[in-house]
Amino acid sequence: MRNLNAEEVKQLADNFLQMANALGDYRYNNIDSLTEEEDLTIKSMHNQQLTYTTELYTKSAVLVLEDVQDSLNKIDTITKESQELYKKLTNVQTILDRASSIINLASAILALDLKGVTRNIQELVS
Amino acid sequence: MPQYRVKYVFLALCCALLFSNCVNLQHVTAFSTSAIESVATFETLSPSFYKTCLSDCQNKHITTLNIHQTDCDCTQNQEADRITELMYHGLQGYFNALTNISDNQLTNYQTEGLTNAITSGNFGSIQVNEAEAKSYSNIITLIGRAFTDRYRRNKIKTYISNANQPVQDLLHFLDLNLAGNLKGKLEVQKSSIKNYYFDLVRDTELSTYERTKFAEDYFLRIQEIERQQRELEEYSKILNSIAEGHSKLYAEVEQLHNDDLKVALAKYGSQLKMHSTALIKR
Repeated sequence: MRNLNAEEVKQLADNFLQMANALGDYRYNNIDSLTEEEDLTIKSMHNQQLTYTTELYTKSAVLVLEDVQDSLNKIDTITKESQELYKKLTNVQTILDRASSIINLASAILALDLKGVTRNIQELVS
Repeated sequence: MPQYRVKYVFLALCCALLFSNCVNLQHVTAFSTSAIESVATFETLSPSFYKTCLSDCQNKHITTLNIHQTDCDCTQNQEADRITELMYHGLQGYFNALTNISDNQLTNYQTEGLTNAITSGNFGSIQVNEAEAKSYSNIITLIGRAFTDRYRRNKIKTYISNANQPVQDLLHFLDLNLAGNLKGKLEVQKSSIKNYYFDLVRDTELSTYERTKFAEDYFLRIQEIERQQRELEEYSKILNSIAEGHSKLYAEVEQLHNDDLKVALAKYGSQLKMHSTALIKR
């Protein structure tokens, strides 16, 4: 038999909550006709049901990981590929900028412009 | 003769570019940016699984009038928060990447630097004609855009197509955890609080003042929990709008420049802004 998935556990928790609330409403509506012992028993059962219900909601939230693990891996791969593409396309501009810097450097060397040479080398290594 | 050839090639390239559908993906970038901004309101949500668990645990100690050894085991709820954050970060990463690669500026390469370097440079006996340098530079820009734009557009299509199902799954399960499970836990908390205050408010051994104060406390606590539930409902609307917007993008992926798509994405963008504002105001 297969295990319950996150959505099924959440559905169970919703049903449990309805049952717990029905029990609570029974106590609130009939409080005057209940003995003290009956009242305490129902109150305690109501509390116990609510504790189980909140644990079921948490269980469902944790089980979600099993359902989304594959999607998380896929989206992670696509994000990485997109970032690589972004880097590649940005590199084209970097190459153009580098080419300009190299030409400027060559020009400065030919003109024996020492300040220009320093400035252009700094640009190239930055 | 070579000059004619350059002009001819340049003209041919311009014509080729005119017919190759210039890629303007501004509407995709705008939708993706709205998705990032609105999904990020996750950080402003006040409830969490851990906080709810801690509050439930403290309520139990209050009920039994115990303030000694009040440790609360909320490890499962911390795990639930961690899984919920994983889905949030997955979506955030994807839309950040989509925004970056759909940005028109990405392939709008600047070649003025290169042109200036060639024309103003001192290359000894070699003379560089300014007009020719500009023409070559323009050709570089056009070729660059033509190839990189087409390459970029095809890649974006592939990414959107491959990402649609995982994106829909992540949005669905993030919604299940927040508007389903966490909101459900808050609903349980409301029932527990009523169960506790019901007897105090009815207790005739207490003074009317004390009973009134308990009733006031009850309504204040319920009000605060319902405010948190409304935050989750508003966030759910954000997730649904993103899901619909991305589905539309996926459905029209072969016609990214389609006017219908532009209008639809603008509509989802406005919806997202509206829901985010409503959430922040709560």
